[in-house]
Amino acid sequence: MIYDKPRFTPGGDRYILIEFGSEMNLTLNFMGQALAKLLEENNQAGIIESAPCFASMLIHYDPDVIGYDNAVIYLTELISELGPSDDIVLDSRLFYIPAVYLDPWTKEAIDDYRLKINNDKVHDPDYVTQLNGLENVEQLARVHSGTEYWVASLGFWPGLPFMMPLDPRCKLTAPKYNPPRTWTPKGAIGMGGASTAIYPEVLPGGYQIFGRTPVPIWDTSKRFDVFENSICLFQPGDRVKFVPCDMDAFEYYEQQVKDGSYVYNLIEYQKFSVKNHNDWVSNLDVNRRF
Amino acid sequence: MENIPLQTSGNIWKILVKVGDKVEEGQVLFIMEVMKMEVDHEASCSGVIQAIHINEGDEGLDADMIAITIEPA
Amino acid sequence: MFTVIKTGLETSVQDFPGRIGFRDQGFPPSGPMDSWSFRLANRLVGNEVGCAALECQYIGPTLAFEQDAVIAITGANMTPKIDGLAIPMWTSIFIKAGQELSLIFAKVGVRSYIAIAGGINSQPWLGSQSTFHKAGVGGIEGRALQKGQHIDWRSVELNNTLINRAVKSEALPDINNDKAISINVVYGPNEGWLDEAGKAKFLTEPWKLSSKSDRTGFRLEGPTLTFTDKAHNKSPEHGSEPSNIIDQGYPVGGINLAGETPIILVNDGPSMGGFINPFTVPGCEFWKLAQAKPGSQLYFKEITVQQAQRLGREQTEACNDDKITNQ
Repeated sequence: MIYDKPRFTPGGDRYILIEFGSEMNLTLNFMGQALAKLLEENNQAGIIESAPCFASMLIHYDPDVIGYDNAVIYLTELISELGPSDDIVLDSRLFYIPAVYLDPWTKEAIDDYRLKINNDKVHDPDYVTQLNGLENVEQLARVHSGTEYWVASLGFWPGLPFMMPLDPRCKLTAPKYNPPRTWTPKGAIGMGGASTAIYPEVLPGGYQIFGRTPVPIWDTSKRFDVFENSICLFQPGDRVKFVPCDMDAFEYYEQQVKDGSYVYNLIEYQKFSVKNHNDWVSNLDVNRRF
Repeated sequence: MENIPLQTSGNIWKILVKVGDKVEEGQVLFIMEVMKMEVDHEASCSGVIQAIHINEGDEGLDADMIAITIEPA
Repeated sequence: MFTVIKTGLETSVQDFPGRIGFRDQGFPPSGPMDSWSFRLANRLVGNEVGCAALECQYIGPTLAFEQDAVIAITGANMTPKIDGLAIPMWTSIFIKAGQELSLIFAKVGVRSYIAIAGGINSQPWLGSQSTFHKAGVGGIEGRALQKGQHIDWRSVELNNTLINRAVKSEALPDINNDKAISINVVYGPNEGWLDEAGKAKFLTEPWKLSSKSDRTGFRLEGPTLTFTDKAHNKSPEHGSEPSNIIDQGYPVGGINLAGETPIILVNDGPSMGGFINPFTVPGCEFWKLAQAKPGSQLYFKEITVQQAQRLGREQTEACNDDKITNQ
């Protein structure tokens, strides 16, 4: 459900949660990101930062400069300036990220989980394939990699992107692990609910995992120039296209990362138009999978 | 008599000795758990374990409490 | 410069207010958990309140000072000594080159702060010297202090006016070993998920602080909560548990109903996730969390945003320079 008017609630003395709706809907994230851009441009005293999420946004403010009520009034005014979501146009970088699908490392993590935590867990690629009515795990790889993913937000761990498919023909769903895994390989690609994520480090996790990328998505030592301004590769509003590769290519990229010669495939001139996206989507036959 | 006190408040995770065991100075006698970290407690001298005043799974104990008594060699 | 002889349990460099402005990349603020004691420690040695200083947790460090310095120790009582002789807390003290400062286990409270006149000199990371230990970010080499490290501070002129400073008694936090602790909380951001009975239980029954609590989260054991229709009947993309929600941003201090046991998200906690936060601990109450021993019974008391903001302002005033006296 998309709310007529966004809802504001306090998070303690210095945070505000703005809820645009209660569903995972790209439009709600576009609104959050457009608002984030407006907030940055306006630079209102006391508003420190904003963090968009799927259907909501968190605002961090300084209560010594602006109180809760005035902050809500200001945010309400800005949101009304946004106009219809269809008019939103955002700068959007595009990353081509190499990935091995149905890789041995995520398989090892799943085997370990089956051994130590839950022997009944069906292997993730098979599980997601069956749940979504796909023919086989090869189709899972085709469908999952067949779309650009929209980086809706970063969180849970620094640099960890939460992404949604821009092509509805590639929409998949998968419940999270219960209980979660105690570890996930670094670079693992997985899905939980309707979102896709990449694990930046060895971390516990609950997403269904079925692929892995050799390229770092955060780099505390800034060895590559994409990290010049930030140690996290992605920012909200980026798009990611997974490029399936084989194990030889994976090892080749891994070596390039090790010796510092890897060049990120980043396209940095495009704008994303919500209206164009919606028009394109409305003409697709969403039942025709790759 | 040599007293081994708790080095911090926290829980008793593992007790590695029993009454009557011979221990060497520096040997880990028991491990506390606090803030999801393990804190090893070592014998301050060689000798025989005389008494154990803690149990595995004890929670919320205070620092400085006497945990183990050693009869020095 | 000082050398780390003993590290203590987990001792780290923190500054105030921490690493701010990067929540949209998933960075927590880090910073000192008891910012009241932290700010006063800095004031005592003549620093700005935000200067980088050390946070000690449960067991404090032993540091060998290679140069003269003026220091102050606040927060939990870890029986601080210089060369084996007890020194007072909550006052600025001169330590000579060659002397050793030692802290042991926390007798009262849990977290101590060691401020040095001039502030600790370390490489800032995304604008802050605060340590996010688990992610290897900030502080000294991205982690808590390691044995053998040499750590610098910015040199300042040391003179007699800088020592024997004290805090006016009305500005001191009341750190004690009471087992029952009252914590003020603000309703939200996820309002309308706990039903009336659940909300009442939350605010009247005690919550036991688990020892499996650290700077990423404080685990609580307490009553089983009950939820409204909104929580039980929602679209499947939220998740199957009543406390599941579509992934959302988490406020620092959110009391997060993740799985079986609630977790208070503290300084190094996650910035977003798929569980609700029906109540949030405001910044002004964090010093109570920082000094609460595992096994303590926490009682949550509801206050308004405005009341929480007023308490925050009062705490800031308690850390003003006019609360420091020369003895």
